[in-house]
Amino acid sequence: MEFTLLWAALTAFAGALLAIRLIKRTVPDRPLDRIVGAAVAGIAVGRVAAVIMQGTNPFTNPGELLIIRGGVDTVWASLAGLATLVWPLRRTPTALDAIAPAALTALAGWHGGCLWRSSCLGTISDLPWAWALPGSDITRHPVEIYAAVLFLAGAWTVRWIKSPVGAAAAMALFWAGLARLATEPVRPSLGAGLWWFYALATVMGLAIAGLLVLMTRQPADKATANPYPPV
Amino acid sequence: MRRLLLALLLVTACGSSNQAEPTTPELPEIDLAGFQKVLGDLDRPAVVNVWTSWCLPCRAEAPLLREAHAEFGEEIAFIGIDYDDSQRGARLFLDEFDLPFIHYFDRDGVTIAEYGGIGVPRTYFFATGGQLIKVHNGAIDEQTLALQIDELLNR
Repeated sequence: MEFTLLWAALTAFAGALLAIRLIKRTVPDRPLDRIVGAAVAGIAVGRVAAVIMQGTNPFTNPGELLIIRGGVDTVWASLAGLATLVWPLRRTPTALDAIAPAALTALAGWHGGCLWRSSCLGTISDLPWAWALPGSDITRHPVEIYAAVLFLAGAWTVRWIKSPVGAAAAMALFWAGLARLATEPVRPSLGAGLWWFYALATVMGLAIAGLLVLMTRQPADKATANPYPPV
Repeated sequence: MRRLLLALLLVTACGSSNQAEPTTPELPEIDLAGFQKVLGDLDRPAVVNVWTSWCLPCRAEAPLLREAHAEFGEEIAFIGIDYDDSQRGARLFLDEFDLPFIHYFDRDGVTIAEYGGIGVPRTYFFATGGQLIKVHNGAIDEQTLALQIDELLNR
């Protein structure tokens, strides 16, 4: 892995580690292994998908799979990462809830790692906190810092969600989608970007959390009825 | 596991061997003076990509350059410089990746060395008139490419 990318990855790992240490919640076995495993699976599947979509046969050119810088397909990478994280814990959603803040903090670390890579900047802005590329006088949004702050806000919010079971994980999906969706308009990219994918994640996270709340809520008349009426 | 490896080996062996004659015409040769003239004659900024057919990261970034050219090809000149390579290898590479902009053949590998940078691939960003703005060493990613193009367009 390229040196600057390695530093960003280490920042992400440190973020996840810190979150697990700070959040005193019962976490599943080997929580960091699970998060790192999901990240690795996401990168691997995302790179294979990117190579295939770019029209290259990965079997005849296997070396290209190693050039992560050449692009990772975000949709396939996200799906593979989520599947790797969620599938083994599908019967213990409390474990997913416990991992959720750490996973969001890891994403904050990855985006904040732009400081090591000198790649924080987005579209042009004259806001007071905007800054310029070296040698340029065009100031820009520090878009990756915005994303990192949103991921951290998500981690902070999600850590307080105790019930219903699974809601914290669902809200983590909401925040992950929102952090990218909100920063997409100020992010430089080729083509239209993946706003639809981030919007889908945001809506799905919110919908799943809402459904879980509805499913666990007792009907008002049952909840307030006195089971032992006076004789 | 052994069966899987054997299957992968068979699929790999069945892949195209790339022995066909290239259809892309020979690349024009260029030297430093010629390159400076090309830059000076441009009425728009330029993205110059240095590549070789044998370099894996060059293959990995080629689709990104094609995408960038499709989006910004009218506002920015895209130029490829094939370096330390054979004409045949270069032409096969262009057959495979279909990079529809001008590519030069740098036989001695010194044309662009004047502007600094190290290794292949390298991507240079020039303002209109030929002023060098940025050199990116190694395979470039989408965000960096889009950001540097935006920087060129807004200078």
